[in-house]
Amino acid sequence: MSLKPLLRKLFLVDLIKGLKVTFNYQAPSEAITEQYPLERPVIFERFRGQPRLNSNPDTGESLCIVCNLCALACPEQLIVVKGERNPTTKRKEVVSWTYDLSRCMFCGLCAEACSTDALELTQDYEMALYTREGMVLDQAALERGQEPKRYEK
Amino acid sequence: MFDAITKYLSSATTPGEAGSIFWATIYILIITAGISLSVIAMNWLERKILAHMQIRLGPMRVGPHGLLQPFADALKLLIKEDIIPAEADKLVFWSAPVVVTMTAFTTFLVVPFGRTHAVTDMNIGILFMLGVSSLGVLGIIMAGWSSNSHYPLMGSLRSSAQMVSYEIAMGLAIICAVLMTSLQTGTGTLSMIGIVEAQASQHTWFIFKFFPLGFLAFGVFAIAMVAETNRAPFDLPEAESELVAGFHTEYSGFRWSLFFLAEYAAMLAVSSIAVTLWLGGWMRPFPNWLSGSIWNLAFSLFPALTLFVLAGLCLLGTARMPKIPQMKIQTVGLGIFGLLLGFIGLVLIIPGVRERVQDIYWFVVKVAFFMYMYIWYRGTFPRYRFDQLMKVGWKVLLPTGLAVLIATALWGLLPQISSAIVGVLP
Amino acid sequence: MGENQPGYREWTMSDSTRTDYLDLDTKDETFLDATELVLNMGPQHPSTHGVLRVILKLDGEKVLGTECVIGYLHRGVEKIGENRTYAMFNPYVDRMDYVASVSNGLGYCEAVEKLLNVEAPPRAQYIRVILTELCRIASHQVWLGTHALDIGALTPLFYCFRDREEILKIFEKYCGARLTTHAFRIGGCIYEAYDGFEQDCQKFCDAFLPKLDEYEELLTTNRIWVRRTKGVGILNPEDCIALGVTGPVLRAAGVKWDLRRAQPYEAYKDFDFEIPTGLNGDTYDRYLVRIEEMRQSVRIIRQAVEGLPQGPIMAKVPKVIKPPVGEIYHSIEAPKGELGYFIVSDGSTQPYRVRVRPPSFVNLQALDKMVRGLLVADVVAVIGTLDIVLGEVDR
Ligand code: SF4
Ligand code: SF4
Repeated sequence: MSLKPLLRKLFLVDLIKGLKVTFNYQAPSEAITEQYPLERPVIFERFRGQPRLNSNPDTGESLCIVCNLCALACPEQLIVVKGERNPTTKRKEVVSWTYDLSRCMFCGLCAEACSTDALELTQDYEMALYTREGMVLDQAALERGQEPKRYEK
Repeated sequence: MFDAITKYLSSATTPGEAGSIFWATIYILIITAGISLSVIAMNWLERKILAHMQIRLGPMRVGPHGLLQPFADALKLLIKEDIIPAEADKLVFWSAPVVVTMTAFTTFLVVPFGRTHAVTDMNIGILFMLGVSSLGVLGIIMAGWSSNSHYPLMGSLRSSAQMVSYEIAMGLAIICAVLMTSLQTGTGTLSMIGIVEAQASQHTWFIFKFFPLGFLAFGVFAIAMVAETNRAPFDLPEAESELVAGFHTEYSGFRWSLFFLAEYAAMLAVSSIAVTLWLGGWMRPFPNWLSGSIWNLAFSLFPALTLFVLAGLCLLGTARMPKIPQMKIQTVGLGIFGLLLGFIGLVLIIPGVRERVQDIYWFVVKVAFFMYMYIWYRGTFPRYRFDQLMKVGWKVLLPTGLAVLIATALWGLLPQISSAIVGVLP
Repeated sequence: MGENQPGYREWTMSDSTRTDYLDLDTKDETFLDATELVLNMGPQHPSTHGVLRVILKLDGEKVLGTECVIGYLHRGVEKIGENRTYAMFNPYVDRMDYVASVSNGLGYCEAVEKLLNVEAPPRAQYIRVILTELCRIASHQVWLGTHALDIGALTPLFYCFRDREEILKIFEKYCGARLTTHAFRIGGCIYEAYDGFEQDCQKFCDAFLPKLDEYEELLTTNRIWVRRTKGVGILNPEDCIALGVTGPVLRAAGVKWDLRRAQPYEAYKDFDFEIPTGLNGDTYDRYLVRIEEMRQSVRIIRQAVEGLPQGPIMAKVPKVIKPPVGEIYHSIEAPKGELGYFIVSDGSTQPYRVRVRPPSFVNLQALDKMVRGLLVADVVAVIGTLDIVLGEVDR
C-alpha cells in the first residue's frame, strides 16, 4: 500500500468527510419539512384531484350533455350517468350523476374523454373521509366541489 | 435544619466519605432524578439533532418545537398494554429490564460530578464502574433468551459477544489512564475523584499527557465505548434493518421504556468515565493558561451565561412562532420556559451557588459533547457487520490498546530506565 | 395431484407443522437439526422492501439457504389487462413498479404502438426520453436511500428523497400526478410540455450533480460502507445470464448489455451516453454502476432538452384501438432491468393476453445464489442491492 491511502485511512479521512456533510446540513434553513396543515403544499395546474362538474357560469346550467363518454372511458367503471331528453329544449339533461371516489385512481381518462369540459379533475386533494359513506358523490356534490376544511385541534 | 445544610454545603467531602447516610440518600435521589431527566432531554435532543442532520424538523407539534414530545411518549409507554409473549419465561422476562436498569443506574454511585458532588469516593471506583456496567449484558442475555423468539435471541447473542470483546479494549485503555496517575509521581489511584485530582496536580488532562499516547488511549476508549453501549455504527444487537429491534423486540410499554432508559443511562455512564479519565472531570478548561482570580470568576459565570443564551433562544423562538390561534398555547409555553431558564440562570449567579455549581456544569458540558458525538455518528455512518465488528475489536483496538499500554509504561519509566543505563555505563 | 396417483395421501393434522415443503437443499434429511435455525424474515420486516417473505435457514448467523415466498401484493394486473381496452389498461401498469411508473407506461405504450404499427412523433419521443430518464434517477434515488438505510446509514435516504422531490414536481407539473403518473398515451403523449419544462429539467440537472457527489462523500469511500458491500453477494456473468438477471445487476458483473443501446427504442439512438459496467459483480460494483447511471441519465436529459424538436406530440391513432390479430414482445430498459410486455391481440378492443416480464421478479431469483454462505446482515444488503419492488414482483 502506498503512503497516501495509508495515511488517509489512519487519520480517518473517509469518516470525517461524511461527518462534515451531516454537520453542515444541521442549519435550520436546510430543513425541507413541510408542516402540512399549517403550510399548504403548492399544487400545480395539471394536478388530477377532486373531480368537479362544471356548469355554465352565465346561466348556471350544467355543461354535461349526458353523452356518457366519461363513463365509457373509465377503466374502473365508477361513473354512472343517467339522463333524459327534455321535451321542451330537446336537450338531454342529467337525472343522476354519480362518481364513486373510493374506487377512482385519478388516471384522468374520464376528463380527457369529456367532450364539453364538463368533468374536470381539480387541484383539491383533501378527499379523505372517516367512513366509506360520502365517497359516492352525486351531481350536487360534484358541482359544489370541495369545501375546504380548516385545521383545528 | 438550615444550619445543617449550610454546614454540609461548606464541607469538602462526599457524603459517602463523611459517612452521612442521609445526605447519601439525598444524593442518590437527586442523581436518579437527574439521570432520568437527562435521558428525557437526550431523547428530545437526539430526535432534533438527528432530524436536522437529515434536513427534517423532528418533533414540532407536542409543545413548542416538540419540547413535550418525550413526556408524551413516556406517558404513552406507561399506559400501553403490557404484553408478555405466551411462550416466554415469565420470571426472567420480567426481571431482565430491571437488571439492565439497576446496573445502569448503580454505576453513577461513583461518578464524580465535582469534588464533593458524588455519592461516595471508592478507592476502587473505576473497577466498580466497569464491573457493574458489564453486568448489564446479563440483563440483555436474559431478555433475549426469555423472549423465546429468534430475533431477540440473535440480538442478545450478538450483544453479549460484542460487549465482552470490547470490554477488553476498554480495560486496556483505562489501565493507560490509571498508569498515568502513578507514573513519574509514584501515587497511583483507582478512585474516580483521585484520578481527576491527579490530573489537577499534574496540570494536564490525561488526553494530552505523553502526547500522542494519551490521545491514542482516549481514541481506543472512545471507539470501544460506542461499541459497548450498542450504538451506531456498532448497533448490531438492535440493528433495525436486520433484527427488527434486537433483544427487546418482544418488549412493549413500560418494560421497553426501561430498556430505553438503561441504554441512555449507560451512554451517560461511559461518557462520564471518559470525561473523568481523560478530559479532567469537573475541571474547567485552561486552568493553567487562563489562571488568576479574574479568569476564575469569568469561568464561574459560564453556567449562568449558558442558561441566559438558552433563555434568549427560547424567547427568540417565541417571537418567531407563527401568529395563529392554534399555536397560541405553544407560544406562551415557550415564553414561560424561556423565562424559567432565565430565572435559573439568575440563581446561578449568586456567589455561593456559583462556585458549587460550576464543577457540575463543566462535567455536564463535557458529557454533552460525547452525547453529541453519539448522535452525530448515528446520523452519518452505516452499520458494521458482525464479523467485521469483531475484527475491529480484536484485530485493531486490542493490539492498539496493548501497544499504547506498553508504550505508556515505558515512557513513564523513562527516568528510571535512563538512570539505570547511566548507572550501568562506566 | 389426483387421488389415484402414487404418493397420494389424505391431509392430516400433522401436515400443518411440516417444514419439508420448504424444499431447501437438504430435503432428504430432517429439515431442522439441532444446529440450524429457521428464521422468517418478513412479510412484515423493516428491510424486505415491502411484503417479501424470505425463509432463512441459518447456522448461527450463517445463511445455509433461502426460500422466497412472494405473492402478498398480487393484484392480478395481467388478468385485469384482459378485461380492459388497450387505452384503459394504461394506468394500471403504473402500479407495478410504483417507484418507476413512467418507465412502465413507456414500455406498455410502445408495445401497443408496435402492435398497431405506429410510431410516436419525434417531439413525443424526446419528451418520453426526458421523463423516463428523470424517472430512472428517481428510482435509483429510492434504491440508494433504502439500500443505505438497510446497511445502517440513515441519512442518505432523506437527502435522496429531497432531490427526488424535484423530479416528482416536474412530473406533477407535466402530467398532474407524482407517483402513478399515467404520463404517456398510446401513440405519443397527451400533455404538451408545460411552460418552463426545459428550464426545470436543466435546473434539476445542474443542482443534482453536486448532490450526487454529496451522497458519494457519505458512502463511496466510507470504510464501513466499503466493507459492508465489497465482495458481498457476488454474481458472475455466467450466472447472471443463466438466471436471466438484467439491468444494473448484470452490468455490474461486467456484461455491457443495455437495451437502450442494444435495441435502441424511442430516440435513444440520437444520444451520446456511456454504459457503466462493473468488474466483480458485487454489491459495491452495483452501487457504483447505479451511481454512474444517474450521471449518464443527467447527460441524456441535457442532450434531449437541448435538442427537443418542435412538432406534433401524438401520432395518428384511431379513437378505438383495435390492433390486428397478432402478438408482440417489446422490452425496454427500465431502471431495474429489462421490462418486457408480451401482448396477444385477437383483433378486438381488449388484449387476449398480457404478460409482463418484470425485472424485479427475475432478479429476485438470484437472491439464493448470492447469499448462501453469507451472514444475515448480508441478506439485507443483497435484497437492497437487487433493487426489487414488490409491486412488480407480485403484480
Ligand atoms: S380518474 Fe380514472 S378511475 Fe377515476 S373516474 Fe376518471 S377514468 Fe375513472
Ligand atoms: S363525458 Fe362529459 S358531457 Fe359526457 S356525460 Fe361525462 S361529464 Fe357529461
